[in-house]
Amino acid sequence: MSNWLDRGLGFAVPLLIALLVSALVLLAIGENPLDTFSLMLTEGFGSPRRLASTLSAATPLLFTAVGTAICFRAGVFNVGVDGAFLIGGLAAVVAGFSLPAELGWSLVPICLAVGALFGAAWLFIPGWLLARLEVDEVVSTLMLNFIAVAITGYLVNGPFLSRQSGNNVTPPVHEAAELSRLMPPGTLHSGFLLALAVLVAYAFWTRRTPAGLEGAWVGLNRRFSRVVGVSVQRTIILAMVLSGIVGGLGGAAHGLGQLHRFTDGFSAGYGFTGMAVALLAHNSPLGMLIGAILFGALASAGTTIQLFSDIPLDLVNIIQGIVMIFAVIELGRIGIRRRVKA
Amino acid sequence: MIEQILASGVVLTTPILLAAIGGLVNRQAGIVNIALEGKMLVGAFVAIVISAATGSWLVATLAAALVSMVIGYGFSLTITRLGANMITAGLGLNVLAAGAIGFLMSYAYGSSGTLRLPDVALLPHVFPQSVESVPVVGQLLAHLDPLTILAVLAIAVLPFLLGATRFGLWIRATGNAAPVMLAVGLKPKLLQEASTAFAGFFAGLAGAQLALASIGIFNEGLTAGRGFIALAAFYFGRDRPWQTAAACLLFGLLDAAQIRMQTVGLPPRLIGALPYLMVLVALVVSQMRSLRRTQ
Amino acid sequence: MTRIALGATEIRKSYGSVLANQGISLSVGPGEIHAVVGENGAGKSTLMRVLQGIERPDSGHVTVMDRDVSFAGPADALAEGIGMVHQEFMLAPDLSLLENLVLGDEPLRWGRGAFALIDWQSAEAQGRGLAERIGIEVDWHRRAGAAPVHIQQFVEIIRLLRRGSRILILDEPTAVLAPQQVNELFDLVRRIREDGTAILFISHKIGEVMALADRVTVIRQGKIAFSAAVAETSGEEIASHIVDGSNPVGGEIRRGTPGPVVLDVAGLSAEAVEKSHPLHDISFAVHSGEIVGLAGVAGNGQVELMEALSGLRQAKGRVELAGIDLGGLDAERRRAAGMGYISPDRRHEGLAIDASIEENAIAGSHRASPISNGLWVDRGAMKRVALERLNRLSVKYGALRDPVASLSGGNQQRVVFARETAGSPQLLLVSQPTRGVDLNGIAAIHSILRDFRDADGAVLLVSEELDELQMLSDRIMVMAQGRIVGALDADADRREIGRLMVMEGVGA
Repeated sequence: MSNWLDRGLGFAVPLLIALLVSALVLLAIGENPLDTFSLMLTEGFGSPRRLASTLSAATPLLFTAVGTAICFRAGVFNVGVDGAFLIGGLAAVVAGFSLPAELGWSLVPICLAVGALFGAAWLFIPGWLLARLEVDEVVSTLMLNFIAVAITGYLVNGPFLSRQSGNNVTPPVHEAAELSRLMPPGTLHSGFLLALAVLVAYAFWTRRTPAGLEGAWVGLNRRFSRVVGVSVQRTIILAMVLSGIVGGLGGAAHGLGQLHRFTDGFSAGYGFTGMAVALLAHNSPLGMLIGAILFGALASAGTTIQLFSDIPLDLVNIIQGIVMIFAVIELGRIGIRRRVKA
Repeated sequence: MIEQILASGVVLTTPILLAAIGGLVNRQAGIVNIALEGKMLVGAFVAIVISAATGSWLVATLAAALVSMVIGYGFSLTITRLGANMITAGLGLNVLAAGAIGFLMSYAYGSSGTLRLPDVALLPHVFPQSVESVPVVGQLLAHLDPLTILAVLAIAVLPFLLGATRFGLWIRATGNAAPVMLAVGLKPKLLQEASTAFAGFFAGLAGAQLALASIGIFNEGLTAGRGFIALAAFYFGRDRPWQTAAACLLFGLLDAAQIRMQTVGLPPRLIGALPYLMVLVALVVSQMRSLRRTQ
Repeated sequence: MTRIALGATEIRKSYGSVLANQGISLSVGPGEIHAVVGENGAGKSTLMRVLQGIERPDSGHVTVMDRDVSFAGPADALAEGIGMVHQEFMLAPDLSLLENLVLGDEPLRWGRGAFALIDWQSAEAQGRGLAERIGIEVDWHRRAGAAPVHIQQFVEIIRLLRRGSRILILDEPTAVLAPQQVNELFDLVRRIREDGTAILFISHKIGEVMALADRVTVIRQGKIAFSAAVAETSGEEIASHIVDGSNPVGGEIRRGTPGPVVLDVAGLSAEAVEKSHPLHDISFAVHSGEIVGLAGVAGNGQVELMEALSGLRQAKGRVELAGIDLGGLDAERRRAAGMGYISPDRRHEGLAIDASIEENAIAGSHRASPISNGLWVDRGAMKRVALERLNRLSVKYGALRDPVASLSGGNQQRVVFARETAGSPQLLLVSQPTRGVDLNGIAAIHSILRDFRDADGAVLLVSEELDELQMLSDRIMVMAQGRIVGALDADADRREIGRLMVMEGVGA
């Protein structure tokens, strides 16, 4: 019981702080925060079309949140899901336009697999470095993010540059490689269903597989894990590789479903928003679903609100930033959690 | 050509170096400051706005440094007093800083992305234009601005500050063994907060230099990952002042040279990734060494 | 003239339902060494925390230099001249010894405040002077982490003296020292005493108390059990008060009937943990149906030996389990071969303290039938297995999903035993099984061990409690400086065991 209460508070408190700050910001610019928030709610969830666009925006976040959570719960501080998202996305898109179109329906699974494979290989690097050489994973994955931006940026402006459309984009993928749209003309695509499947698989993995149990043990106590015969090195590498698979799949789904190509700025910081979601949810599947949809709604509502009022879209970043700062604070220290016996 | 690379390399080194100075002191006190990027951006924005309003580069620079310092201090409180995680909070502060600046720009100035203000006072050149005729370093000297000199002075003073003053000793002891600080009656959290404020101050200076060194226009992408390059530099330099400065200079020169390397067929994007790759390789090499030593 | 340098009067302190201190009074005068002894969990550390201002007593008061004082925090105690030398040394490893010496009270050359310049020359002069006064030599420019352990300890003591501590509390200072280093420490402490410093010496080693202290107080179960001038008592008398009644189940001593060899070790050697001894050419055997006790001063290689046998530490040499060579096998495979391991550090190694009771009970069996087919985990089977194991050892718990941290120490340890004995291993490696466990728990754990032995299991038992070893074991081996220096009957004379435990210069 108290566990649920703590988790709920852990979820609510950072959000409340963020809402409070943004309310103050809105007041400062002479807007009514309540009006704005209710407008956001309407724009985010008010109609099937709006809900669809919220879910569409939530799709990449679901992938990156799950990818992050896999590592965080194993005590691996991987901040490199964004890089896997980019690498996996580009690989899938390149497969999507360069493989023969005649492959037909099988193009989609092939391209997704390619994305997953590249994502896995990408995060295998810091996983192996951490497990074998104890190279600090925060720094290595952070550096790899920048390297991924550089590599994809180079490829998309060089070898894979589209001849037709000018700068910074690849050619579009074959039509057969596109993920189907669920509610045309909206952009919600079947990648969302894939994201849900990944989320369910994650929930299953954490509770109902030996490796999933081991991940939690390694995250809680490495010495204990060794004593009960769990290979810490293997678990760390596995967490990184799974994280890379999910991140790569996310990029692939984004490329094949949303953009149908790869462009510069392919990931609008999805890896980091996903990290905020995972932190907020303390890695729980249900929490991540809610969190991803909330952030998806923020992003999609923010865009429309900017059109109809003077409120800049950047408010969304303010909220996200505050959530990330306060996501893992110890609630006890601000006197909310009931005092446990000393 | 070498003259030009040297001159522009030094100009490009300064903001990285200033940010890295703050970051290395911060890390010696046990805090990895991933939010240098965001604080540089704030510094650059404040510098442009204040410079345009007052016409004084000095006031603008000080304002930038002070605002970033206050932000750095507030940021450190979430870590030391609320138990926030320094990595995610740092990444969050970067997002928050970019969001807040974007918000202000579009609300107050009605612009998105780029902010041009009239009458922005740029950093002055320290030497008269005539030094250009000095061989090799002429260009460099002609473009030398006060913040570059400050950065070099700071690097020269830093080993002394860390080694011979109480503040330096306390900073090092805090990062090395905070419980020992408590045991001898000192307050390690206070030191961590002070060092984060210090890092904020220098990140603000870095932002001001970036904004006011040549163009005088603010752009959301102005820092372009330099806060992280600074991070790379003090990791590469293992928190030691001179080694960190050397890494900064190397990264600055690389940056300056990349436009030229393009003409010989090296893609600039890939060259841009070199600092990060170098840090990765350096980390791997040093870990391999230390593991071999323990075996 | 000061009579009481540091005194405690009727100190009471409880944590929840645990009465850690039930009215303890003791005092130490200037120039006196007062030893406080007692078993783990007797209430020594609670008393010390009160004297240092870390804990506030529920009632009672503290006296310093004949004045009643009240501490708001450790800083107050420090200001009153009370200095604590911790078991874990309080030096910053990457700073030099000199930097550590002056940290927090630096001699200044110029200026004031945070940016004042430190006068390193006078710092070093002070360090030299103090070191000379107490008769030791220190290379002040050495990195603290690279200095020998006893030097680190001396520097910590010098630091306290330099800051005006007139009262020193030494918390089991010899736990990590080699015998010759212990002698150096004692010489130093005696010289400090001559300066009029009051010293409270926490220990559970009777020999050291007899050698060093002027007065001794025994704490048992939160109360003073005995107090006397050392000159007027004997080691045997002190010992009897320490253990008196603490082993209510100790009456019956049953020995086992050894069968064939289960564990056969030959020429085992391994690297050391920090501040301990490497293993050197260790050979012995453990038979089925017997408990072999391993006695020794902490830090003489016991941890290394147990880790090397369980596969947690790299080692050279031959290890056979029931005739099967375990060479090169990791911890996972050694478990599978029939080995259980009870860690000396229950909270950080024996259990994942924040994971559920259920998971802690089944960990290690989670890949095998019936819990898993290798791919999926059957949660129902997992629950059944956990219940069965917990019931077998009568673990008392609330719900399976509660974190194991919610259990008492004794029940936590039973969870560990439930897990490690579940697969009927042939060999159980047991370290400090009753550390931090209450009396009932101790009795239960002892009978678990006997039952395991009586079912033809082999047990290698490491314990710091000699009583426990003599009561449970069928025979005893003594370890010193990373070697096995002797083998005796379980009821051998304690003094003989003690003599072997402090054997010096064996080979090395």
